[in-house]
Amino acid sequence: MSFISAENIKYSYESEEHNKKTVLNGVNLKIEKGEFVALLGHNGCGKSTMAKHLNAMVLPEEGVIYVDRMDTRDEELTYEIRRNVGLVFQNPDNQLVASIVEEDVAFGPENLGIEPDEIRKRVDNAMKAVGIYDLRHSAPHKLSGGQKQRVAIAGILAMEPSCIVLDEPTAMLDPKGRDEVLSSIQELNKKGITILLITHYMDEAVLADRVVVMDKGSILTEGTPQEVFSQVALLKKHGLDVPQATELAYKLMGAGVKVDKMPLNEAQCVDLLLEVLK
Amino acid sequence: MNRDVTFGQFIPGNSLLHRMDPRVKIVLLCAIIATIFCTFNFYALGLVTAFIIVAILLSGVPLRMYLKSLKVIIIIVVITSLLNIFYSSGTPVFEFWIFKITLDGIYRAIYVTVRIIALILISSSLTFTTSPTDLTDAIERLMSPLKIFHVKVHEIAMMMTIALRFIPTLLDETDKIMSAQKARGADMESGNLIQKVKSLIPVLIPLFVSAFRRAYELAVAMECRCYQGGEGRTRMKSLHMKKLDYLSIFLMALVVGGVVLCDIFLMPI
Repeated sequence: MSFISAENIKYSYESEEHNKKTVLNGVNLKIEKGEFVALLGHNGCGKSTMAKHLNAMVLPEEGVIYVDRMDTRDEELTYEIRRNVGLVFQNPDNQLVASIVEEDVAFGPENLGIEPDEIRKRVDNAMKAVGIYDLRHSAPHKLSGGQKQRVAIAGILAMEPSCIVLDEPTAMLDPKGRDEVLSSIQELNKKGITILLITHYMDEAVLADRVVVMDKGSILTEGTPQEVFSQVALLKKHGLDVPQATELAYKLMGAGVKVDKMPLNEAQCVDLLLEVLK
Repeated sequence: MNRDVTFGQFIPGNSLLHRMDPRVKIVLLCAIIATIFCTFNFYALGLVTAFIIVAILLSGVPLRMYLKSLKVIIIIVVITSLLNIFYSSGTPVFEFWIFKITLDGIYRAIYVTVRIIALILISSSLTFTTSPTDLTDAIERLMSPLKIFHVKVHEIAMMMTIALRFIPTLLDETDKIMSAQKARGADMESGNLIQKVKSLIPVLIPLFVSAFRRAYELAVAMECRCYQGGEGRTRMKSLHMKKLDYLSIFLMALVVGGVVLCDIFLMPI
């Protein structure tokens, strides 16, 4: 069984006009241990609701989700699931509880009732893992967006989860902050932590092992970045973008240039253009 | 907007006062305030004041910071001392029209002034040398016996922590909203007081809406980090009383004893 296995998840909520609005319409999602998966999609396509299903913040109306063989509907397992699957949100400001970095990172393990010495060790390790150890005595409001988001990630990391779900963690950050957060995420994945990165930046999705595209509450397509972004026509039809490099290659194809392999980043695109210009 | 003013004015350092257990500091502060109000003559007051001055010198905080904290209350000091000068009985030393100044009045004015200043100085030495988190932490632990009476001690401390955490964030936000409203042509400077207060409404409404949204998001994030209230929760930092703390409690006891002796055996003013 996969580490996370969601089968035929359906979820809807009552909107203001008392008619039901379907958010998730039969989503099947499997994530293996140690994988780096990117979940792509428009605003309102159900990505965030899906994320909240993975740590039992929201329970499915239909279907089941197993996290490490634990059923999210089992109330006795709720906190074990939340410890195991950490959630990081878009706005770093609204996730930090304490006014000192190291105390905020300690918040999660403190809630778990861990011994003080062990918390200290975990907090130090978590801060070192995302490169904020030097900022441990600072106040969150004095940090940059990228630093704050890394504090939020460290706070999750200190609970020693096996999976971290990040819901558009870079949406409110400047390019420098984005780079900081993304390289931290990649670093953690290398250490064996399963990552689900929810994003609408195509350039971020390219970094993943596998890309899942959601549209209107169900999964549109999935596969390696190469496979997914080769289906430019399908993505375009659903109003989704592709990385700029892919876009360029797609237009060249339309103009009659032969492209064997869709480029996903600048380097691959440069290679392609050199090939074409020969 | 200066964000640090509201932040308890904590000045990081490593002085004797910084190193004291925050619980001991709070208890001693309460004790010293009570003692200040129990001084009935200049000898007793002098003893407490001397103790406070020593404490301030040991705090390692620049004196101008203390002067700054006195600035706020200077009007209160002036008014109370004037009232004391003019409204007291006894033989006048100086008379002018309906005003008369008595020796007793002058004594009283000095007395009240010294009391207020001592009070402010020692209170600021607590906020200068204790970080806001240490303070809330200490308050939570000091209040924990109240749990018997079903006082929600942990919840109160949690609210204080979150409030401290979000004050700078919300101040920042206020700044942004004000600029945004000004950019849309809102006039916040002109007009009388009522108009000025009214012009703040377009700032306060978005601020409240955003505060509620933040509160909701924070609650979700806290739940995701396994928060289930105070039960079964441990703390990374535990507080320990050291020799320094016992020594300061002993010194404080000496001062209280001295004040009591002065009060009993020497003339009250």
